[in-house]
Amino acid sequence: MNAALEAEGLVKRYGARTAVQDLSFEVPRGAIYGVLGPNGAGKSSTLRMLVGVLKPSAGRIAILGGPITRASLKRVGYLPEERGLYRSMSARGAIAYLARLKGMPASIAFKRADALLDSHGLGAVRRKKIKTLSKGMAQKVQVLAAIAHEPDLIIFDEPFSGLDPVNQRVLEDTIRAQATAGRTILFSTHVMEHAERLCDRILLIAQGRKAFEGSVAQALALAPSAAVLETEGDFDLAAALASRGFNITPEGAEHGNRRWRVRLENGLGSRQLLSACVELGAPLSLFEPARASLHEAFVALVGDKIAVGGES
Amino acid sequence: MHPVLLVARRDYFAYVGAWGFWVSLVTAPLLLAALMFAPVLLARAEPPRVLAVVADRAEDAASVTEAFSARALADARGEIEAYLDTTAPAAVAAALAAFDAAPDRAAAIAAARAAVAASAPHALRAFPQPSPRYFIAAAPAPDINGLKPYLGGARTLPDGSALFGALYIRRGSAAPLIEYWSVNLQHDEPSEIARRAMRLEMQREALAAQGLDPAEADRLAEFSPAIVQFDPRPSAGEGQVTLRQRAPFFAAIALAFVLWSVVFSVANMLLSGVIEEKSNKILDTLLTSVTPLELLFGKLLGVAAVSATLFLFWGALGGGLLSMAASQMGESMLGQVASAFIDPRLIAAFGIGFVAGYLMYGAIFLALGSLCESIQEAQTLLGPVALVLAMPMLLIGPAMDNPNAPIIEAASWIPLFTPFLMLVRAPAGLAWTEIAGMGAMMLVTVVILLLLAARVFQAGIVNQLSMSSLFGRRARKG
Repeated sequence: MNAALEAEGLVKRYGARTAVQDLSFEVPRGAIYGVLGPNGAGKSSTLRMLVGVLKPSAGRIAILGGPITRASLKRVGYLPEERGLYRSMSARGAIAYLARLKGMPASIAFKRADALLDSHGLGAVRRKKIKTLSKGMAQKVQVLAAIAHEPDLIIFDEPFSGLDPVNQRVLEDTIRAQATAGRTILFSTHVMEHAERLCDRILLIAQGRKAFEGSVAQALALAPSAAVLETEGDFDLAAALASRGFNITPEGAEHGNRRWRVRLENGLGSRQLLSACVELGAPLSLFEPARASLHEAFVALVGDKIAVGGES
Repeated sequence: MHPVLLVARRDYFAYVGAWGFWVSLVTAPLLLAALMFAPVLLARAEPPRVLAVVADRAEDAASVTEAFSARALADARGEIEAYLDTTAPAAVAAALAAFDAAPDRAAAIAAARAAVAASAPHALRAFPQPSPRYFIAAAPAPDINGLKPYLGGARTLPDGSALFGALYIRRGSAAPLIEYWSVNLQHDEPSEIARRAMRLEMQREALAAQGLDPAEADRLAEFSPAIVQFDPRPSAGEGQVTLRQRAPFFAAIALAFVLWSVVFSVANMLLSGVIEEKSNKILDTLLTSVTPLELLFGKLLGVAAVSATLFLFWGALGGGLLSMAASQMGESMLGQVASAFIDPRLIAAFGIGFVAGYLMYGAIFLALGSLCESIQEAQTLLGPVALVLAMPMLLIGPAMDNPNAPIIEAASWIPLFTPFLMLVRAPAGLAWTEIAGMGAMMLVTVVILLLLAARVFQAGIVNQLSMSSLFGRRARKG
């Protein structure tokens, strides 16, 4: 079997409320897989079911080719959304302890902890207690604790939250390095940019349901494309293009030129837009096709309100 | 290493590594000793309470004053006897004979001390210097109205001391009337001493009225039968109850107190440990490696090891002191109490009681902890729970008085009370079959409580069931 993780018809109910509804997806081995959605979309509930912390109300999960068992979970590394470590433990002690709980022998666990701390710039604080570390350092220690036992499948829940931009980049590098080492990585985020930069495939969730699953390119293709134009002087491009069926919105002025954004939809592409501008004698100083973002794709899939966190 | 052992090991070193643990380890025996000896030391440190006696008849004032002197003499004799009982039993008889032969209190104390110096010089180092409980001062005023400023604290006696109380012995046509004046309303012992003195005085007067010698009253008052207490049980041997037979009861009470303190201290560790893990948000991480049941057992095992460390330290300390006392003091009071701790029935009851009590209360506290989000929330929950859990200690008082009372026997079969009351009942002829029966009953209770606790624990830590959600608001998760 080629999938590192399979979920089929997952449902999670908390009393009368359904957090996850009929969710099915597959994570290929060796992939970096993103689970995206606004806050409250059901991402954490889904991930907690994947690592056996929560029992699904319905549905089936297979990790690394089999059901969730003690043995299969030993091959999984998990960073929960609500994270923390024993405050009075040292950084190396915390990493080694969690690795040992996963079955790693003590001597190897401590060596591995030291090596990881050294390679991530935390060698100097290896014997410091967690409570004396900065929040960012402690979070890095927890990430290292999740991968210390060299798991085949790594599941991170909102790993970038709470990190400054520099450490976000460091974490992105860590994720890429783990993928390069042949591990499968699944992470959730509500920040689409991380997924765009890292993921091979993504799962978009809204209100506990799957809105999309596929590659990032496939998702971007679903977003309406657009073009950014600038005209010289006070030429009114919106008025000129209105009769041609284009959806155009002004975006202010730049260096004395007026700036416009045109959504390319209803069969009208950039070629038709450029022809129309030439025909209308528009004094163009810039014509630039705009790359769609995952956020725009998500908005196109689920609507504006839900995309910003519509779940109650 | 098995995950249960890893969890236990981590918890053990987390507690043992905390400086508070070592402070408790060392201070607990000191505090216990202070609690035991503080009342005696405080009583000794207190200066005599100053009383004034005024009377319509000088003979009455003299009788009452004499009664207080006799009381001071008896107290001193008792204090010296109790001290020598524990330190130099062989010297008791000679010391008391010297005491009784002396003309007054100061001379009596000095004579007893001299006798001890001759036969047991090692006992001189802490030889008591008894201080009288009451001192009868010359009344600074002839009547109660004149004494009121002194009694109320507005004035002091010429030597600067405060007047604690005043006795006014009235004489009318009927029987004498004793008025006791004091602002210390709870303490009425002086009036009782005065009552006994005046009763003797009335007996003297009655004898004189019959034409008999009034001193006969004093001689008659000295008649007193000897009392010998017997235990009819075959196990009691000769049957006569001495300190040797009573000592196991003192030992049982002491062990019950220690057991109760340790069980609740370590159960509280479990409670705060779970809450710490909940507030540290570490449970989700742990739960991908250990099951909730393994976590629960790991925690129970870890804190049990902490308790074992406490007992080993205290046991070694106490055992060393007790065996030293038993070997050095032989038949003395302390020696007899010390050897009472080595009773197999008591040790069995303590061992079974600790294991069962720890597991029962540990399971309850762990379950409660898993439902609480903070120590504050746990404290509000523990208030009423603690009241219920304090009940065994409230029953220890009546159990000391009568360990075989029906209510104590019945309460000792309530599993949550059994560990403590079984211990208290052990010296009162608790059969081995009863100990086994109680052990079996607690075992069943432990299994039931652990199963229930595991379910609550799982619901609390995995599904985020909390006290608030139990009362209608479901925890929400994204």
